Amino acid sequence: MQPFLNQIWIARWPLWEGFLLTIEVASAAILFGTVLGCICGIQLVYGPAIVRFPFRVYVDVMRGTPVLVLILAAFYIPSVAGVSLSATQAGVLALSLFAGAHIGELMRGALQAIPPGQAEAARSIGLTFPQTLAYVLLPQALRSALPPWINTGVELIKGSSLLSIIGVGELLLRTQEVIGRTFMTIEFYVFAGALYLLANIFLDQLGKAVERRVQGR
Amino acid sequence: METTRPLLEIRGLHKRFGAVEVLKGVDLALRKGEVVSIIGSSGSGKTTLLRCVNLLEEFQSGDIVLDGETIGYSTKNGRRHRLSDRELSRQRSMTGMVFQSFNLFPHLTAAGNVMLGLRKVRRMGKAEARALAERWLGRVGLAARADHYPSQLSGGQQQRVAIARALAMDPKLVLLDEVTSALDPELVQEVLNTVKAIADDGATLLIVTHEMRFARDVSDRVVFMDQGQVVEDAPPAEIFVNPRSARLAEFLRNTRT
Amino acid sequence: MGYSLQFGAVWASFGNLLSGLALGLGLAVAAVACGTVIGLVAAFASVSSSRIARVLVGGYVMLIRNLPLLVLVLLVYFALPQLGIRFDKYESFIGALALYAGAYLTEVFRAGLVAVPKGVVEASRAIGLTRVQTNVWVVAPIMMRNALPSMGNTFIGMFKDSSIAAAIAVPELTFQARKINVDTFRVVETWIVASGLYIATCFAIAALLRRLERLFPKF
Repeated sequence: MQPFLNQIWIARWPLWEGFLLTIEVASAAILFGTVLGCICGIQLVYGPAIVRFPFRVYVDVMRGTPVLVLILAAFYIPSVAGVSLSATQAGVLALSLFAGAHIGELMRGALQAIPPGQAEAARSIGLTFPQTLAYVLLPQALRSALPPWINTGVELIKGSSLLSIIGVGELLLRTQEVIGRTFMTIEFYVFAGALYLLANIFLDQLGKAVERRVQGR
Repeated sequence: METTRPLLEIRGLHKRFGAVEVLKGVDLALRKGEVVSIIGSSGSGKTTLLRCVNLLEEFQSGDIVLDGETIGYSTKNGRRHRLSDRELSRQRSMTGMVFQSFNLFPHLTAAGNVMLGLRKVRRMGKAEARALAERWLGRVGLAARADHYPSQLSGGQQQRVAIARALAMDPKLVLLDEVTSALDPELVQEVLNTVKAIADDGATLLIVTHEMRFARDVSDRVVFMDQGQVVEDAPPAEIFVNPRSARLAEFLRNTRT
Repeated sequence: MGYSLQFGAVWASFGNLLSGLALGLGLAVAAVACGTVIGLVAAFASVSSSRIARVLVGGYVMLIRNLPLLVLVLLVYFALPQLGIRFDKYESFIGALALYAGAYLTEVFRAGLVAVPKGVVEASRAIGLTRVQTNVWVVAPIMMRNALPSMGNTFIGMFKDSSIAAAIAVPELTFQARKINVDTFRVVETWIVASGLYIATCFAIAALLRRLERLFPKF
């Protein structure tokens, strides 16, 4: 046990930076993904057919493709398109697109679950559609979308581990580097696993706390 | 005429659900071949009583004796124990129950429903069980539907399969819990006819029902329960024509068909 | 820019992509098969009266669902040998994916168990079937049938997750695609074809599932 703890101490900075990068990547992805997903969800429910179609294709393509394939595609393709992306940027791009599709689907479901009477009531007091959306529909949809949204966040933290395959210095890659030096394979993989576990459980609890607060009204 | 020992004896049955006492000392006896109907308003405890006899519910005090065997509990060293799952299952196979909501096994055909108990509890071979199942389905008029699934049968047909399922186990006593209450009106009569037929065959039946005319027709005795107790217990002629208690009189007034 | 789409290089190795696809499906089938057994045992344990069983199952599910699959795969493949347990690439991956599928299926089956109508269970007990017989011959069949759609979705998910096997050099579809990418530099074409294959397969499986659901509707 002692040599293991020793090695953790020695490697504390790379491991900490790796952990931070994991959180940063997941956070960026959930941020972009939520913006994209809300637009997507709203268009899928209320948009004209000509707008709905590309969003539908986007969602179906993203959902049918494994995250790793998205990551590899985002890693290799930009360079031939003349765009230069770092591995981290490519990773965030892939994860954001992935999150956007998932959040789009869950927003679609949440919006469609609102009883039609709600929109009717809003319109009959004179609210325009954007107002109806902003003040009546979205608040209700966001409330019911919260648990699956947290779930998407958990999936992103898990997905960030795949970025190690394209050389992004997140937690898993840094762990593998330490293992490469020390050969303490099982100890450090368990250690990394524990950190992922803690992050996800924390996120889950955070979500439940927010949910309680929101229901409290 | 020799007095035979009763097939079913319920003595001083008390049952609570949490803090609420639902059965407050019930005494009831049935002889072999007797048909007894229990009537009363909801909350009177009649369904709970049936479920205690069937050992689907536990009871706090009192005895149920079926054909000489005290069922559900044993007393060792002066302390009362609920019997093991295996013992309870064996005892349950001695009574048959038909439920208000049929509760047929949706993943098995009509024949499959009847055969399951025969194969797993009575340990019959497949061919033997199948033959017996077909016989009982024929008895309730559904031989042609032996290989149909419950979803392909009407409510009345499903309930008749449920009756066949209970009877095929050759139980000493059959419990019927409001077996027509969940049926569309036009399907009620076929089920009542089936019950009358098995009564005429000599089965021992304990029936909880709202169908007053049927109770009068088919029963040897009618029992009126109110608030967890047996209030009156007499042949149908006396119960329906000459109610002795005010409670029964009022009940009959409110349910006159 | 000057990048012109040339699918020729990709078509030349299409056979490899297809065999990779078949391998991915095979991995998913194996994982879901094992995962179903795990899930059934765990689901029944999670509704049993034994507190230890419930806690263990809860712990298992929480652990696996919050762990990245890649970490689990690496643990099984690289770390277990340190304890003397040596699995080859395929066994390691299937084992890890089975554990993963098992956790998801436990939740699916548990919900299915709870949804079996109480009356049907009572009818089974009323005939005299013991608790075990009731579970085996009545509860489990009904629950499995109701759980078919969710099981199907889990299978699709596991098929997509089979792509992670590429990380330990199992030659499934993603691994083959990356090889073609690196050999030919036809990046756009390769990934279009690869993701196209995944998407088409997922759609096909989903269509098949819908058909099955119509044949075997829920109880």
